[in-house]
Amino acid sequence: MTDADDTDTPEMLAAEYVLGTLAGNEREKAQRLIASDPAFAALVRGWEHRIGQLHAMVTPVEPPPEIWSRIRARIEGVEPSAAIVLPHAGHAARIVAEGNVIDLRKRLGRWRQAAAGLAAIAAVLLAVVVTAVRDPELLPGPLRPKPIEVTKVVEKEVNPGRFVAVLQPNAASPAFILTVDVANRTASVRRVAGGPPPGKSYELWLVSDRFPAPRSLGIVGANDFTRAALSAYDPAVLSNATYAVSLEPAGGSPSGLPTEVLFASKLIESVPPSR
Amino acid sequence: MLSSQELVWLLAAVAKGDRAAFERLYAATRAKLYGVVLRILRRRDLADEVMQETYLKIWNSAGQFDPAMSSPITWMVAIARNRAIDQVRKKTEVSIDEDPAVLEIAAESPDPLARREMTEELRRLLACMGRLDEERRRLVLFAYYDGWSREQLAAKFGKPVNTVKTWLRRALMEIRECLGS
Repeated sequence: MTDADDTDTPEMLAAEYVLGTLAGNEREKAQRLIASDPAFAALVRGWEHRIGQLHAMVTPVEPPPEIWSRIRARIEGVEPSAAIVLPHAGHAARIVAEGNVIDLRKRLGRWRQAAAGLAAIAAVLLAVVVTAVRDPELLPGPLRPKPIEVTKVVEKEVNPGRFVAVLQPNAASPAFILTVDVANRTASVRRVAGGPPPGKSYELWLVSDRFPAPRSLGIVGANDFTRAALSAYDPAVLSNATYAVSLEPAGGSPSGLPTEVLFASKLIESVPPSR
Repeated sequence: MLSSQELVWLLAAVAKGDRAAFERLYAATRAKLYGVVLRILRRRDLADEVMQETYLKIWNSAGQFDPAMSSPITWMVAIARNRAIDQVRKKTEVSIDEDPAVLEIAAESPDPLARREMTEELRRLLACMGRLDEERRRLVLFAYYDGWSREQLAAKFGKPVNTVKTWLRRALMEIRECLGS
């Protein structure tokens, strides 16, 4: 067991609980606190909100079909707990019914708020990205797309995990997310918001010190999602390259070189190989 | 995968005891949750048991889901991960080096990002993860995806447990600062 130190705060206990690094006895302590201390439970929810999205990178696996029949058998005749956890069920049937109605109305309100909030976020993102592409000088300095920055490439150990690059003008407004499966030499590009301006295309490039010029990986972003084959490149090149998106005339670069680079990024590991 | 909004409505129906909605919810989310717990547990028999417990818990507590606080799939994955990690901590015989055969899994889709769960939160998180020192980022990722404790991480990374603890906490604080929330 580790020694106590000044970072042994409820905040860090909540964070490590969500991340999953606590030993069994510490997890039990955290679970008792979640049940008894609303402030601690709120810390846990905060951390689930911050890092819980990492699950999106997990590859789905189809479970065996018998699991569903077992679950179904176990819920037969078991109503959800909303109506049965109340302490004084004997004299409270009518109150329970009313409580549920009120509760559901509140929830409906919250769902509507959540949906409206999501739509607003999407609209703002779209605006920022489209502005960045069309009129970068209209944006405040920090939001303007940065010119391509080809950093010195350091050869690293090749890793067969999944890698991702967020191709973005700044941390607040990413525009493309590139994932590279180094082992299978495939890439996918997820467009975040907005297609290319009329008469234009986005093109993806690989920049490596192994090659004298950027190599085109094809047109991306015409749809939400584009795949690219990388079979011409070995894993070491793929892991260490810089990836860039440029704005081109419709159909792609006429010169074979990027016309106007919008974003560039190196890959970071997003899911380590299972071992 | 259904959209987040569709999952919200399914959970609302499940909270009212709608078994058909529960079956649809299961069909839409089972492969994601199974992928998550199988990677942590590394044994199908344990993963099968955790899946049952997870969906029973979802059936029983769907009414507690609050869409203002979380997305449905993130909420469900948190339940599944917590069950799986509790299981790993209890069963000492689930060695992290055990049974590599189970990991040769025919995945349903090679590319999880081809899905609709790509969210603004994930994009921001990935950008912040990218700013972490590489070794600390790997600690965080192995902890999240494999459910490794500090002790297991220390053994795998060849570092003292206290160093791992310090690095993990610094990384978490950096993530919090970067996300600005």
